[in-house]
Amino acid sequence: MYGPRIPIAVLLGALIALTGNDVAFADSPNVTAVLSNSEAVVGEMVQLQIKVSGAGDTKPPENISVDGLEIHATGTSRQYEMRNFTTNSSVTYNYTILPLQAGRFIIPPQTIRVGNSSLRTPELRLNVADSPGRSTRSNQSAQPANAAKLVFAELIVPKKTAYVGEIVPVQIRLGFDPRAHPKLLEGPEISGQGFTAQKLQQSGENLETINGRSYDVVTFKTAIAAARAGKFEIGPVKAKAQVLAARRPNTPRSRSPFDLFNLDDPFSDPFFSDPFSQFGERREIEINSEPVAFEVKPLPQNAPPSFSGAIGNFTMTTEAKPKSVQVGDPITVTSTISGRGNFDRVNAPAVEDDRGWHKYPASSKFKNDDEVGISGTKTFEMVLSPNEKKQNIPLLAFSYFDPAKEQYVTLRSDPIAIEVQGGAVPVPASVTSQPAASAMPAAAATPAAKQDILYQLTERGRVQSFTPLYVRPIFWMAQLIPLLVLLGFAGWKIRQVRIDNREARRIAALQHEAAELMRKLRRDDVSPREYYAEASRVVRVKAALARNVDPNAVDAETAADTFGLNADSRERLRRLFEQSDEFQYSGAHNGSERISSENRRDVLELVEHLHV
Amino acid sequence: MKAGKLLVDLCGAVTCTFVAASAFAQTDFDKANQEYAEGHFKEAIAGYETLVRSGPLSANLFYDLGNAYFRASDFGRAILNYERALALERQHPEAAANLQIARDEARALEMQQSWPERYLQFASVNQYSTTAAVAFWAGALCIVALIFASRRSVRLIALSILSLSVFALAIFAIYEIDHGSKGRALAVVTGSDVQARLATADTANSVLALPPGSEIKILNTRGNWVYAALPNNLRGWIPATSAELVRL
Repeated sequence: MYGPRIPIAVLLGALIALTGNDVAFADSPNVTAVLSNSEAVVGEMVQLQIKVSGAGDTKPPENISVDGLEIHATGTSRQYEMRNFTTNSSVTYNYTILPLQAGRFIIPPQTIRVGNSSLRTPELRLNVADSPGRSTRSNQSAQPANAAKLVFAELIVPKKTAYVGEIVPVQIRLGFDPRAHPKLLEGPEISGQGFTAQKLQQSGENLETINGRSYDVVTFKTAIAAARAGKFEIGPVKAKAQVLAARRPNTPRSRSPFDLFNLDDPFSDPFFSDPFSQFGERREIEINSEPVAFEVKPLPQNAPPSFSGAIGNFTMTTEAKPKSVQVGDPITVTSTISGRGNFDRVNAPAVEDDRGWHKYPASSKFKNDDEVGISGTKTFEMVLSPNEKKQNIPLLAFSYFDPAKEQYVTLRSDPIAIEVQGGAVPVPASVTSQPAASAMPAAAATPAAKQDILYQLTERGRVQSFTPLYVRPIFWMAQLIPLLVLLGFAGWKIRQVRIDNREARRIAALQHEAAELMRKLRRDDVSPREYYAEASRVVRVKAALARNVDPNAVDAETAADTFGLNADSRERLRRLFEQSDEFQYSGAHNGSERISSENRRDVLELVEHLHV
Repeated sequence: MKAGKLLVDLCGAVTCTFVAASAFAQTDFDKANQEYAEGHFKEAIAGYETLVRSGPLSANLFYDLGNAYFRASDFGRAILNYERALALERQHPEAAANLQIARDEARALEMQQSWPERYLQFASVNQYSTTAAVAFWAGALCIVALIFASRRSVRLIALSILSLSVFALAIFAIYEIDHGSKGRALAVVTGSDVQARLATADTANSVLALPPGSEIKILNTRGNWVYAALPNNLRGWIPATSAELVRL
């Protein structure tokens, strides 16, 4: 009864187990660590996110200590993502970093325990500047408290000077008093000219207390890149929101406990003391931040040839496969450029010396490590094909401008050894008029001279078709011929078998008849007429079997010839036939006469000794 | 008698029409060749393309068309037509030589063939089809003879096994060649700046840049995009208008 259910249960179990495996092991665990800003000023908070993907149980570093930085864990978030029926999970550990002093800080690699193994985060660098940014930042921070508004906007630009094309991360904070039930209608957007801004990404929302007042603060992140050198103002940030405010009554209001400075705080309205006493109204308000001054410097003139506009801090690794090829075979060279900077200007590394190589355009794919795409990994796949024997992949060079060092940096790939077999790329013998022996070394030594194609053909040639033979109707029609031959052959064989069977049946019948007659001849209760008739019939049947003829067509002479009898036996046989005819046709010897035993023995002896 | 005369007249008319059509086509072919010789490559291409559309097809026609495209610096279509000439006639030395030159010029990428495909290339699909048919009927005849034979003949049994083995091998060869990287789905990139992408969008990440004349194997078609196997064992989506099938 339960039999059929067991396999179903087993299948379901296996399916669940497989699904579970997908959740846990869809990808091998990996860890990334990013700073919200790599440039900050003393007192400016920087976020550190350590993201562990594809792992189940993880244990974050308990405390991260760096002299001059105050680092605190602020929380953990877990994300699940389903893609192509595969579930990936990731956990993000958030930390805040408060720089206590100016300088260049290195946050060392942190160990994350993942089950029984451990992962290490990359080393991070944080440059902390002193006062100039501090005053701006502190002014901005003070804004909401002083204003004592329902809403505020804040634009945080960690760097006040940058180079043309350099990506600068920007943070926008919009704060709302939660009692006003705010609803963001438009924006935020950064106004200003001379720079391009990436799409804003909302990166978080939390409740903050600023000067004793609670604000729901929504943080947006983006990155800007200056298009030209000069001094600009970034911002202000503009947004529109709808908030709930009380209707103004005619009577004077009592002061709200929130309105410390008597600044016309709408929450002084009795509506907020007793929401049911009277109804509020929704009002649209504009939110504006203070603009931020920004200076953009031009890039130095001495750019290396492989510089394509990349600005930031990058590392490069290169690998090639296969490493053993024939001349002319493709080798895929994969270059991985990781780091932080303007990845949209990161182009494929340049081949420093491409002599003896065919170079094909590279393809690229980018994987960002943060919301705005400032840090990540860009992978280039380039196909190179050797025209001659080579020992190494040509060196690849990638140049960028490092704004921290304020100089150009060129990264070069390590030499990658390969094995190239075969001679130079062969030139078709019919194409060149030179002898083959001289053409080959020439091709190997120098780049082959541009070859010309062969002549036109004036004959149109025989008519051909792309349709394969086996799908043409004529092919299948032609199969009728062997099919008919096969059917004819089979039919002929079947007929032969049937004929052979009929003949066999006739012979069997004759043999049976002969045996039956012989048995009768040995009995002594038959009349002479019957006896001689049966004896002559036996002779006829035996002769017919021997000659494969009709027994009725056999006479005494034929039978004697068939069995090759001597004169005496021939005479006895003739007499046997005569007596049989005599008994048969004369009507004599009818009655109850019996044949003598001597005659019987004589006849039996004759008949039994009839052999071919 | 009357019917016989009618049949003869009909045969004569058909023959005359065929001869006239052939002569007409040859005249157009000569005219296109003349345009080519005078350096009017665009006119020559138009003439050859008209002949391709109207048929009948021949390897020489595609070869000449390939030459005209080569002269017009359209290496993608030149390679496509040389490939077509070789698809019709595997042993076409001029097409093979010019294809090599055009590929060199365009830096076109080639599909890698699997090892069975490489070894089975010594005969064409049509030759394998004929071999398969002959082997099949020989094997069938031997089996029928064995069924009706009074005693089993070792020779007949050996011949049956041999015939059926040849038949199976020929079928395998047809499948491999027809579905292989240079089979019926083989296409050549004719567009310029073609990028194979991860998804059916111009903004999707690029898998491989395909120079004109590069070979691809079309696996699937979705709207205006084709999913194709690419050289270097890669796969990606490319715009359907960027590539043309070799076999029409």
